Parts: sequence; structure tokens; C-alpha cells
Amino acid sequence: MSKQLGFLHNSEKCVGCRGCEIACKNEYQIDAIPQWRKVFQLHEDDFSLPTRMFFSMACNHCANPECLRVCPVKAYTKRADGIVIHDPNRCIGCRLCTMACPYDRPQINPAKRKVEKCNLCYQRIDKGEAPSCVTACIPGALELVEINDSLDQKTGILKTLPGLPSPNITTPSIRFIGPTQGKQIRRD
Amino acid sequence: MGDWEWPLIIFTVFGQIAIGIILMLWWLNRNRDLESNLFRQGVYVSGGLLIVALLASLFHLGHPEAAYRALAHLGSSWLSREILLFLLTFLAWIYLFWQSRQQKSSRVHGSVATTITTAQTAVGEQLIENRSLGLGITSVLGLLGIVSSAMIYVMPRVPAWNNVGPVLFFLLTTVLLGALCTLVLGRKLLQTAQKKRLLQASLGCTILSLLVYVIYASMLSISIEGSASLNFLLSSPLFWVRALLGWFAPLFLLVSMLKNSQVNKTNLILTVTLLAALGEVLGRALFYLSAIGIQITALF
Repeated sequence: MSKQLGFLHNSEKCVGCRGCEIACKNEYQIDAIPQWRKVFQLHEDDFSLPTRMFFSMACNHCANPECLRVCPVKAYTKRADGIVIHDPNRCIGCRLCTMACPYDRPQINPAKRKVEKCNLCYQRIDKGEAPSCVTACIPGALELVEINDSLDQKTGILKTLPGLPSPNITTPSIRFIGPTQGKQIRRD
Repeated sequence: MGDWEWPLIIFTVFGQIAIGIILMLWWLNRNRDLESNLFRQGVYVSGGLLIVALLASLFHLGHPEAAYRALAHLGSSWLSREILLFLLTFLAWIYLFWQSRQQKSSRVHGSVATTITTAQTAVGEQLIENRSLGLGITSVLGLLGIVSSAMIYVMPRVPAWNNVGPVLFFLLTTVLLGALCTLVLGRKLLQTAQKKRLLQASLGCTILSLLVYVIYASMLSISIEGSASLNFLLSSPLFWVRALLGWFAPLFLLVSMLKNSQVNKTNLILTVTLLAALGEVLGRALFYLSAIGIQITALF
């Protein structure tokens, strides 16, 4: 299996501050729409006890990217390190990739009439730096990792969370450290 | 939930009518006895529709001026394949157009001549053979283009599309509207038996379309997103208007026309064609509107 970079998100650490969203916008001076990275809140009733947890998601640089398959202009390429790159210069704004991605991550920029998405700060990675969202995450909830079997075999690593599409569709390169349930103590 | 994708509605429906007409002309010409005027009219109308369809498709793009790049990913993108096949269909149509002009000029020369020579007969037969070949090639390329169009929508993210439904819907629209529009064009030129065949084909397509939709709808409830699409359809007044205009009214009229030997009644032919066309346009709008994709359901 070739190298596959991806994100590891720790929902235990994430406080939903949206610093990663802002860092991404700052780095690339993105318009208000689209949002390359977005913080979501899990439904409180998805767990046995009411739980307030967040997760942050950008493009998942999937192992089987649907965006790449459907794109008629070859605007998408997958690098040897697994990063899925979108070239806006080739994009003609057909929006087929926005329909095909179950995570809604390629998004149309209404001003430019082209699709945009996270390219995993490949320029920074090539220089040996971490992506801007990872750097900006104050609690250290977001990490850049290599997705492989040894990671998946570690205790507590999840391939999905409640409220996310099945990973079987595109095999996303993101892993989660899920929220652990605390004890509910009743004071009678 | 999808949007009113007017450029795509016009592109798919008009493109399918155009190819449907060519397909019907090919079928009517199976004994090499297609009326020349009908051939010419059919070629002109289908060409006009094909041009409108191709132009409309550009308006779907954010950057229509770069549409030529859509041919770049034939290896895996059905959209690239669709564009290629529609362009080839258009090239084949140009050949048909040229044939129709040849036919016209040969008839003008023929009318001046007092006697028809063996050479002229041979030229005429060759023209008919070329016409048949052109119709066949255009039909096959067009049908492949339509299948490619449908395959664009077969994607795992949208359960309402991720099945054989889009291919069947698109092909049924092609044959149904192709047969009815050919009937309209040939209402004064076709023989009664030919009209009857076209009406029977239309009736068959309408019944099949209704049956396929019932099976399709029953399959939608398997997934959450499919159920949401089904609920949207059943609660939308547009769907019931589509059912009335596109299925029930044409069904009633077609049965009545065939049963009461009213196949030559122009008013009825025009009415049933108009109703079926409106039904198909609404059906295509609903196809896009009812597309509900698998997505993140966490809170924003």
C-alpha cells in the first residue's frame, strides 16, 4: 500500500473554537463561501449520555476519491503521498464533484464560479511544515498523520463518528479519537 | 435537495427527443421506404433540437468558454464520455444533413429529366443506402451518448440515482418523445399502419415508464436518503401534475386513439405529444429536485 497522509482528529481535545477554520481562511484568503474546513458539533443524543463534542473536517483526501473519478477536466490529481489536489485553473465549474463527495468538501466559489477545496497545505508539507489548521489548533486536537494499518490497530482510533457518511463510499483518510463517556452522577 | 437545473433539463430532454426522432426514422426506414420529405424534416428538426440542447448544456458550467476541456478525462468520467459521444452524434447528424441536401438536389435534377436512366436509379439507391447508414450510425452514437448522460448520475452518494433508474428513464424518454415527435412531423406523410406502430411504441413506453417508476419508488425506501427522496416526490404537487400529464392522460389518449382507430386525428396526436413532453420535462425537473445525497448529519 502506498503512502497516504491524512488527519487525526481528537474529539476529546477539540473545544469547537473554530481556530482551524480561521487559520485555513487566513492562509489562503478564502472568501466567506466556500469553507474548506468546517467544525461540526455531534448530536448530543448520539451517545449513551448527553455529550457535547466537536469534530473538524476538510477534504479527507480519500483513498477512492469520487471527486477525482467524476471530474471531466482532470482538475483532481492524487499525489504519491495520497494528497488529493484540485487545480482551479483546470476547473470549468461543472459542480459534478460537489454532487459526488459525501462530505460536501469540494464547494463552489460563487464569485469565481469554480470549485475549491483543501489541498492539505501541500506547499507547507513539501517544506517540512505542518498544515496551517494543524499549527493553529490550540488544544492540539488536529494532527497530520500517515494513515496505515498500524494506526488503525491502535486502541481508540475510529474510522468514523456518528453523523458521518459510511467510510465505505470513498475510504476517507481521516481518523478520530472518539469522545469517551464520563460518569453521570445523580445528586439525590 | 437538488435545484431547478434548467440547462440540464433542456439539454437532456431536447437531446433525447432529437436522438429519438433519428432512431424512429431509422426504424421507419428499415424497408428502405422512408418518405423523403419526412426524412428531411426529421433531420432538420432533430438537428435544431440537438443544437439547442448542446448550447443549453454550456449554461450549466461556471466557465462555458472552457467547455472543450471536458473531453480530458475519458478514462473514468462519464461526463467526458457523454460530451464526446454527443459531439460524434452531432458530426453524424451533419452527414445526415448533407444526405438530405443531396437527396433534394438529386430530386430537382430528376424532375427535369424526361427519362430515368439506369445510372440515375443506381444513384438513387445509393442515396437511400447512405441515408440508412447515416441514420443507423447517428442513432447508435446518440443512444450511447444518452446512456453516458444517465451514467453521470449513477454515484454512490445519491441513492435515488445510484441504480438502473437514470438509464431506463433517459432511454424511455428518448423512445416515447422520439416516436410522438416523429408522428407529429409525419402526420400527413406517414401511412396509417406506420402511425399505428408509432402510437403503439409510445403506449408501450408510457406503460413501461409507469411500471419502472413504481419499482424504482419502492426501491428508494431501502436507504434513509432514498426515503427522503420518495417523501419529497410524493408530497410534491409537481409530481402529481407530472403523473397526470406524463402518464395517465397520455395513457388514456393513446389507448383511446388505438382502440377507436383515431390514429389519423392530428389534434389528438398534437395533444398527446404536448402532454407527454410536458410530463417528461416535469419528470426531469423532479429527477434533479429529488436528489438527496448522503451527507454529514452532525450539527453545524
